[in-house]
Amino acid sequence: MEELILELKKEIIEVLNLEGVTPADIDENAPLFGEGLGLDSIDALELIVLMDKLYGIKISEASEGKEIFKSVQIMADYIKQHRTK
Amino acid sequence: MINLEDIYRHFKIEYLKFFKMDSLAKAAFLGAELVCKDINIDRTISKKDIAIVCFNRSSSLDNDMIYQNTIQDSENYFPSPSLFVYTLGNILTGEIAIRNKIEGETSFYVTENFSPELMHETIEAIFENKSINGLLCGWTEYFNDFCDILIMYIEKSNDNKNVVTKDNISNCYNNILWKN
Repeated sequence: MEELILELKKEIIEVLNLEGVTPADIDENAPLFGEGLGLDSIDALELIVLMDKLYGIKISEASEGKEIFKSVQIMADYIKQHRTK
Repeated sequence: MINLEDIYRHFKIEYLKFFKMDSLAKAAFLGAELVCKDINIDRTISKKDIAIVCFNRSSSLDNDMIYQNTIQDSENYFPSPSLFVYTLGNILTGEIAIRNKIEGETSFYVTENFSPELMHETIEAIFENKSINGLLCGWTEYFNDFCDILIMYIEKSNDNKNVVTKDNISNCYNNILWKN
């Protein structure tokens, strides 16, 4: 799981162009939106694409995404259970 | 080849949204930053009365091609939302407006070549609007690592006229600091 969390942090930093942020800066239990990383609605859409592209997980409902993207830890748990690649 | 991120860091600009922009918006943004950093554009004019107008040749084609790569292969079809939002050239005027809290009208024109005549005519037309007293105006071309940026800040004269001539615009463009 730790490996998946680290991989996820690296992917988030790269995909969302988070300048000056390292994996160590991201607390896997901290909220991804609303504070901390300062992500916006376009970032949320990029995360949906990331889930599909890397892990074969399709998120079609916005409310579903809201739950899954609460933190890196919750994302990683969801990926572990639902990944198809 | 100009590295836009290096310019950002060189001038110690603090605006993390910069890193999410496409190259065209980054280049135009940097041009506006360099113009605005030493002057208070709202020292006498409200930001509600300042407009933005930019011109270029390639619109957003540089980013369009990168976006196209995300949808080219039906087996690997992952359209990127963050690239998609920059598939319109006029987005850069919005980025400059948001950064500088400018609330006047914004417009963007795609034209074959840099044209002082067209730019001058457009400035005259914009300044006919009595509520517009200042204008960030520029040529903002970026395509395939070629970057050509001119941003000017123009204010109406006390008698409500545009004081900028076609020759002024030509001279500014021909004396541009960075061209590659």
